[in-house]
Amino acid sequence: MPGTSQRKYSLLCSLILLAVTGFAAEPPYTIAVIPKGTTHEFWKSVNAGAVKAERELTAQGTKVKIFWKGPLREDDRDQQIQVVENFMARQVSAIVLAPLDSQALVRPVHNATRAKVPVVIIDSDLKSDEYVSFVATDNYKGGQLAGEQMGKLLGGAGNVILLRYAVGSASTEAREAGFLDVLKTKYPGIKLISSDQHAGATRETAYQVSQNLLNRFGREVNGIFCPCEPPTIAMTKALRDLGLAGGKVKMVGFDAGSQSVLDMKNGDVQGLVVQNPLLMGYLGVVTAVKHLKGEKVEKRIDTGVVLVTPENMNEPQIKELLYPPLNEYLN
Amino acid sequence: MSSEVRRSRWPLIKPGQSESLSGTPRSASARTDPVGRCRRLLNVAGPFLGLLLVLGLFSLSPSVRPYFLTGPNFKIILTQTVIVAMGTLGMTLIIISGGIDLSVGSVVALTSVVGATALVKGVSPAVVVLLSVAVGAGVGLLNGLVIGGLRMMPFIVTLGMMGVARGVAKWLSGNQTVSVPDTSINAIMDLKDPTRLFPLPLGVWITLGLAAVMAIVMRNTVFGRYIFALGSNEAAARLCGIRVNLQKVLIYSVAGIFFGLAGLMQLSRLTQGDPTVAIGLELDIIAAVVIGGASLSGGSGSVLGSMIGALTMAVLRNGSNQMGWPTFMQEIIIGVVIIIAVGVDKLRQRSTKN
Repeated sequence: MPGTSQRKYSLLCSLILLAVTGFAAEPPYTIAVIPKGTTHEFWKSVNAGAVKAERELTAQGTKVKIFWKGPLREDDRDQQIQVVENFMARQVSAIVLAPLDSQALVRPVHNATRAKVPVVIIDSDLKSDEYVSFVATDNYKGGQLAGEQMGKLLGGAGNVILLRYAVGSASTEAREAGFLDVLKTKYPGIKLISSDQHAGATRETAYQVSQNLLNRFGREVNGIFCPCEPPTIAMTKALRDLGLAGGKVKMVGFDAGSQSVLDMKNGDVQGLVVQNPLLMGYLGVVTAVKHLKGEKVEKRIDTGVVLVTPENMNEPQIKELLYPPLNEYLN
Repeated sequence: MSSEVRRSRWPLIKPGQSESLSGTPRSASARTDPVGRCRRLLNVAGPFLGLLLVLGLFSLSPSVRPYFLTGPNFKIILTQTVIVAMGTLGMTLIIISGGIDLSVGSVVALTSVVGATALVKGVSPAVVVLLSVAVGAGVGLLNGLVIGGLRMMPFIVTLGMMGVARGVAKWLSGNQTVSVPDTSINAIMDLKDPTRLFPLPLGVWITLGLAAVMAIVMRNTVFGRYIFALGSNEAAARLCGIRVNLQKVLIYSVAGIFFGLAGLMQLSRLTQGDPTVAIGLELDIIAAVVIGGASLSGGSGSVLGSMIGALTMAVLRNGSNQMGWPTFMQEIIIGVVIIIAVGVDKLRQRSTKN
């Protein structure tokens, strides 16, 4: 393992330093960053952000080492609990966690706090307040932005499908609520023809559900909203299969997966609400380090949402969000 | 026909004679010959050696050792082993008898959902424990009836049950996780004080107790010896007067009890019933049993070995996390360990045959 030898090397260096100067070298902060999964592009951006924080803080003289570790089986709550527990036993300095479930992860987080390992929550909320800070998108606001765009695209009248993500996922449920609230209050002319189907965790399950939904509602639907990356990509693909893409059915999605961005370029997607996962990973680690240094941190940190449309997608700030510089940070 | 009579018709299996049917027929010379004794010792110690090897591997790294070999970490490893270990107790019976059960993960999910729903409706925790056992045993009984009664392949029957149980779990829960009120069920798997080894969670003690009971059952009871007989040679067992089909129904039902209890532990650990939990758990459990020295062709295996196998898998996972190894490394390593375990078993069998 290159990591092991590197660690041995750094240990050796610090020992020499200790012997030469007589001062104890400050031990590095070890921070475990635990995402919900590791295959979605969203989490790769979070990973890049965490690495960015590690590099910047180290350059500023605060030694930080991050461990990036998702659950072995993605979307398995028990596996994520195991990862949290194992890092707690490893006595890392802090944990940055995106909880797979707002309830099931409460006890592991409490245990970590009791074992003097502070936890920063990112992305999805936890039904608890025993954490240092909650660093995430304002998801309700993101859902509202999507609702506004849908209302504008349809001119205030038409049939709309909401394809939900998964039950128990706090972030997507907040987006769905924001979307529905805007339609209800500002665009009473828009009719919701399906809002009770869940896409599931993978592109494959989302694709199947999308095909089934379009088979049933394909002739009457005018607009579709999907609250995160896998269903957005899958639904757009299903629309293309049926020749409904390219604006015949207005598609509003969430997150800037590279496929979604390509779909928008090709005119198949009319709106994407984009978060800033890189900033989320970055601020997650930075906030944890601030807390470890004894500085005061905000209990809630908003990382911002932006509506991307085919019109504004070439503006430089938007471009940076759509094409995050992943290669710069991940080998 | 009393069991005493039936036992006398099967001269090879006497209670207390543990290895006569484990694929290593004990000859008189092996009993006295030091090489034979040494080999027998190695057979029993094999899984232990594997566990020690894995523990040693993670203790090598100076950056991990101070945290790895500690009481609190072992408390976590033991707690993480409980669900798989509980499953291996049932799976060991089934695999020794020459069968297989692929429905375990689904049964765990189903039990956790049934238990959670009952708790939400205000049923008392004691009744929920019984209910979990009943659900597990019920599914096992169904499996056993179809396998024994209709003489169907266990692989196919339990593959079907895997889908059925998972589907029922999703149906009962309305495709949602069921959060439970805070009852004594939640406390079974609670770490309580994460900074010290003791007190261990109740679930760890329950598993250890049941493992001791099952080790005795397998060694010293007629039921236990019949399981070995069935797995060694089903036709011979039938000719010797063992009611093979009834025995199968019993085996799958008893194993089901443990799968139900594993579901209860899962409910306690997540503090919610989750219809999507434990997908693929049966494969972890089968791997643990195989690492523990059982043969998938039946007739050999031990409860102790399977428990060590389960512990080895948990240590591997815990250690790789703490080393900061990426997830794919961990999957590759566990896969390689399983293949090595089976390979060693094959070599052992071949060397005893010659």
